Amino acid sequence: MNFYYDHFIIPFIIGVAILFSIVLYKYVRWITRLPKRDKLLIRKNIFTRKTLSAIQEVILESLLHRKIFRVNPLLGYMHMSLAFGWFLLIIVGSFEAAVHLKGEFLPPHAHVFYKFFAPKIIHTESGTTWEFIMDFLLLFVLIGVALAWGKRAYSRAMGMKKSTKHTRADRIALSALWLIFPARLLAESFTSGVRGGSSFLTGSIGNFMVDLLGWNTMVAIAPYTWWLYSTVLAIFFIFMPFSRYMHIFTEIPLIFLRKYGLKSSDNKQKSFDHFQIEACSRCGICIDPCQLQSAAGINNVQSTYFLRDRRYNKLTENVTNNCLMCGRCQVKCPVGIDLNTLRLNSRHSFVSTSKADADNRYSYLNGVDLSTGSGRVGYFAGCMTSLSPKILNAMDKIFAAAKEDIWYADKNGGICCGRPLKLSGEIEAAQKMIDLNTALFEKHKITTLVTSCPICLKVFKEDYRLNGVEILHHSEYISRLIKEGRIEVSKSDLSYTYHDPCELGRGSGVYEQPRDVISAIGNLVEMEHNRESALCCGSSLANLEIRDDQQLKIASQLGEEFKQCNADSMITSCPLCKKSISRVANGKVEDICEIVANSLK
Amino acid sequence: MSWGYTINRARDIDMDRNDMTISKLILEKIPSLQGCIACGACVATCSTGALTKYSLRKVHTLVRRGEYSGLLDELNKCMLCGKCQLVCPRGINTRAVISLIKRELGDHR
Repeated sequence: MNFYYDHFIIPFIIGVAILFSIVLYKYVRWITRLPKRDKLLIRKNIFTRKTLSAIQEVILESLLHRKIFRVNPLLGYMHMSLAFGWFLLIIVGSFEAAVHLKGEFLPPHAHVFYKFFAPKIIHTESGTTWEFIMDFLLLFVLIGVALAWGKRAYSRAMGMKKSTKHTRADRIALSALWLIFPARLLAESFTSGVRGGSSFLTGSIGNFMVDLLGWNTMVAIAPYTWWLYSTVLAIFFIFMPFSRYMHIFTEIPLIFLRKYGLKSSDNKQKSFDHFQIEACSRCGICIDPCQLQSAAGINNVQSTYFLRDRRYNKLTENVTNNCLMCGRCQVKCPVGIDLNTLRLNSRHSFVSTSKADADNRYSYLNGVDLSTGSGRVGYFAGCMTSLSPKILNAMDKIFAAAKEDIWYADKNGGICCGRPLKLSGEIEAAQKMIDLNTALFEKHKITTLVTSCPICLKVFKEDYRLNGVEILHHSEYISRLIKEGRIEVSKSDLSYTYHDPCELGRGSGVYEQPRDVISAIGNLVEMEHNRESALCCGSSLANLEIRDDQQLKIASQLGEEFKQCNADSMITSCPLCKKSISRVANGKVEDICEIVANSLK
Repeated sequence: MSWGYTINRARDIDMDRNDMTISKLILEKIPSLQGCIACGACVATCSTGALTKYSLRKVHTLVRRGEYSGLLDELNKCMLCGKCQLVCPRGINTRAVISLIKRELGDHR
């Protein structure tokens, strides 16, 4: 029996053993620590079609990196050729070894160092075809490595203005990774130079080297090239579980668990979070969309750094709180990590309010009811809206035109929706607001709840349990009124551009209704960044760290886009966005309900 | 008959005896607080202030003087809605101020 042993395989074997024991240890630990409900979800869904669709996603994302192709084709190709290319090298390599060394015992390293152990077979006819495929695949991966080198030097060519600053472990693993395939090329070329055979790549380089160095030198050097290859593999494997490359394996269970319905929670750090955190490859795609970086020059808080700090237990309150939670990075994340939820439960971990504390703190709110009116349609203007009387007046005009009987929840002041507290991690305190407002809505038996504030809308939709109450943002409500013919608007030839508020667009998925409304009134001109990639106004309540001048710089980016699209007026549908954009805009900034109220027939 | 006005009790305020640590710290972390002109716009717009006797201006003044007793309970009434930040003529991140004082006074872990 042949064990395919040579001393140089020792580093490789050690590396593989360490890698798999650590990865296995991590996964077993994380899975056994999952709460009961999560385990039940896995058991319930594992033998359903969800598993198949997870496999499909693994192929599309973990191997082909479809989402990165969407960011930039060259960047996508780089990631794909490394991941998919290496995967094919392993798979095709194993088949090649299995076909040619058939009937014999095959240890796993036999195919990794196949050319060293089976040089004679290469000369057979079928061997040539296999060799061609393997050389081709190696070239495929090497192009990816070359692109990675190029990206270090000039990342803009791949659509990335900034790339991640790496930790020391990351740098070591990265250097090893970049050396693996050149080392493999070297080793295989030397061996084929010495022993003959091989295809266009390794064969040609081998022959060239023989001419250059002479056969005797080649024979002397060849064993060391295999030592090099085995050693860099070992270094990579040993550093992998401690570095960004842990994502290679972790993204796969993450995709499966996500398909089975596991989710991170706002107010509790769960074992599932580990899968999300360690699935981050620190590719840095989240850095460019971050306006804290591009406008305010803050460079250490982006999701990639937040996840890194949290993973290595170095998270500070500043990094956790310094985020607009606009969600621009989340829509770009190729791994689909639930970044905002992880950020929220980190914030929550810094706060120590209990439910009893919250009851005590807000006892003055018990029984508060300043509402007026008696309609079944409730209108919750929201705190910010109360600072924009134009919005309130416009809504009143629209309600009157539609002859809607309205119950005003907070015309004379009232209780906050709870979202600002939630965003600050004070989730128990937010729950108190949620409970009080829910009781208020139930008491007045409303069937529809309209709000002018996307911040309120999001918490109403996600955290309130309002059975049988339809929750609408006023843009959705107005769009419906127009469609149903309950209000009539006249169309002018003014041009409007629309700013998607973060909490309404990315947060609640409302993109079309405001555009429908604007199109009914005038001409819609889109800004450069719209819909999912819309800019944040900078005043987000989620950020507790930035200064006023930094908020202004973020808003200025929007002001600039407004200027470029040459519209008569900028429309938004959030009172907070309106206020902050007004400070920087060169033209008129209006809420969507204002233009509707002004063009009522 | 009550007109809603009262007279504050006479108090002895000795700045030399007060512990100024937190006072200095919040100024260090949020320097824009130095620009506070105590106009009271934050109090005028306050959702919480409309329902109970809570005043950010008062809390801020007391913290700056190094008088912290009872302030955490006061600040804990805040719903963090952010209206005060929008109306502040000096552009102070009032929500950050509230959070920071709460943290320093022991609300956070």
